[in-house]
Amino acid sequence: MDDIASMRLELEALMQFLYLAPVGLVQTRHDGEILLLNPRCAQWLLPLAPGGDLQNLFAALSPLAPDLRQRVDAFKDPYGKICEGVHLPVRAGRAPGSFGQVLSLTLIRLDADRLMAVLDDVTEQLRRERALRQSQAWLHSFVEGPQDYACISLDGQGCIEAWNGNIERVVGHRADKVIGTHFSALFLNEASAAASDHALVEADAGGWVIEEAWLKRGDGRRIWSSALLAARHQPGETDPASRGYSLVVRNMSGQQETIEELRRAISCDHLTGLANRRAFFEAAHAEMQRCARQGLPLSLLMVDADHFKHVNDQYGHAVGDAVLQHLATSLSHGIRGVDVLARIGGEEFVVLMPGTRLVDAELAADRLCEHVRRHPAECGTLHVGCTISIGVAAMIQNDNLEDLMRRADVALYAAKAAGRDRVRTWQPESVGQCA
Amino acid sequence: MRTLERITFEDSNILTMLLGSTPEDLDQLPFGVIGFDREGIVRQYNAWEAKAAGLTQSRVIGQPLFTSVAPCMNNYLVAQRFEDAAGDKQALDRTLPYVLTLRMRPTKVLLRLLAPAVPDRRFVLVQWTP
Repeated sequence: MDDIASMRLELEALMQFLYLAPVGLVQTRHDGEILLLNPRCAQWLLPLAPGGDLQNLFAALSPLAPDLRQRVDAFKDPYGKICEGVHLPVRAGRAPGSFGQVLSLTLIRLDADRLMAVLDDVTEQLRRERALRQSQAWLHSFVEGPQDYACISLDGQGCIEAWNGNIERVVGHRADKVIGTHFSALFLNEASAAASDHALVEADAGGWVIEEAWLKRGDGRRIWSSALLAARHQPGETDPASRGYSLVVRNMSGQQETIEELRRAISCDHLTGLANRRAFFEAAHAEMQRCARQGLPLSLLMVDADHFKHVNDQYGHAVGDAVLQHLATSLSHGIRGVDVLARIGGEEFVVLMPGTRLVDAELAADRLCEHVRRHPAECGTLHVGCTISIGVAAMIQNDNLEDLMRRADVALYAAKAAGRDRVRTWQPESVGQCA
Repeated sequence: MRTLERITFEDSNILTMLLGSTPEDLDQLPFGVIGFDREGIVRQYNAWEAKAAGLTQSRVIGQPLFTSVAPCMNNYLVAQRFEDAAGDKQALDRTLPYVLTLRMRPTKVLLRLLAPAVPDRRFVLVQWTP
């Protein structure tokens, strides 16, 4: 009896250990059906799972990692680590390079029928690591290549007052040409005066800021650079004569290719080969900024396969996957080269159309709908018909990606509600109805 | 005690009855009761809840609810609602569907959040989804 009593105590202590573990733990069957999970895991998964249904891990995570099932299927070992510390961006940040929320996922096959996953919120950790990497890279550069950076002194408005000798070599401008001009003139159009002013404000607030950007050389060539902007004045200083900044520019060319390669490797959706959420968020932030600066319109299509669950239920996941691949191909053939197409959920795709007004985006969406309707997916001897619904929204003033995607989602919902296989646009007058 | 036996999860007058009941009374109820004070420390934890969660009452009473007992309720759906009501000096009575991980098994439940305008004692009630 004592044995049983002590076992009860031990069981209870173990139970509490799992209840309070600060990471998410979940055990599933091979098909993702959840057998056990702790509260922290539920806390992160519940907001993702429509209707609060925590039956299946793959389904719950499909908005973030739609290719999880394929990854598991592709892993042929009887046991072992399927993936480790994979980052799943939950929400887009409000600014480029900022993180809304990022979860990290490690998935292990225990045996033929059991998987175990560990989830953790790494948002804050990523932010810190990024800051650390930047400052390390800077320290490194001073030690390794003192010839490769240039120091520039700016006045309170950001105009160039003076610089050291290196700059003619790094930037390729002659001193007398640029003294007195705004420092934004050193960079390609992407870094407009507005973005540069924003950097000044950030340096005011935080003491310093590091940005990476294309530097415009005097000979017309561009070089990838990292620029550190530091305020020389005390925070809150209002006297213009006492305000000033130091700008240090470092040549990063050569490193850009490596970074691009790495980026490609982590930005691809495994099933369709399209950009994934991470890549989409990055590209979309940049495109929105560019269009806003240049006064260009920008539209976004939120695309969802209709009744996709029926396809999976009726034909199985292999056919479902083939249909998704077919859809990805159809969509990519139906858009322009400048448009950004990504798979951002299980059967959800998004198309970002820079320079495109709402009416034109709507026409493009209509064409996509019709093309998909007329071309069933061919899976071996099987022809599987499929339709899509599309919600369209256009960028408005002071927009951000999160809001733009939300509006396109509202329009997509309207298209679904109106009977699917159609396009709906988000109109400003529907603001009142939403609120 | 006689009145408590007839209390149901949906009872409109339940807050008054809970406030006037002893731990033994609460143990008779056919649904879970977690009572906690203004600071969020668990003061009452009835037998139903203890059995469902697999924790004894002594292990839970005296612990902060949202950090050390039920971290899965530490979000805008539950903890935030209690905080908002206390901030606005408003009473709270809200029932919502929820998923708890009782004994690490995802379990659909109904939660009822209860707090008087002066929140010296607040309650989370738990019932299996019918």
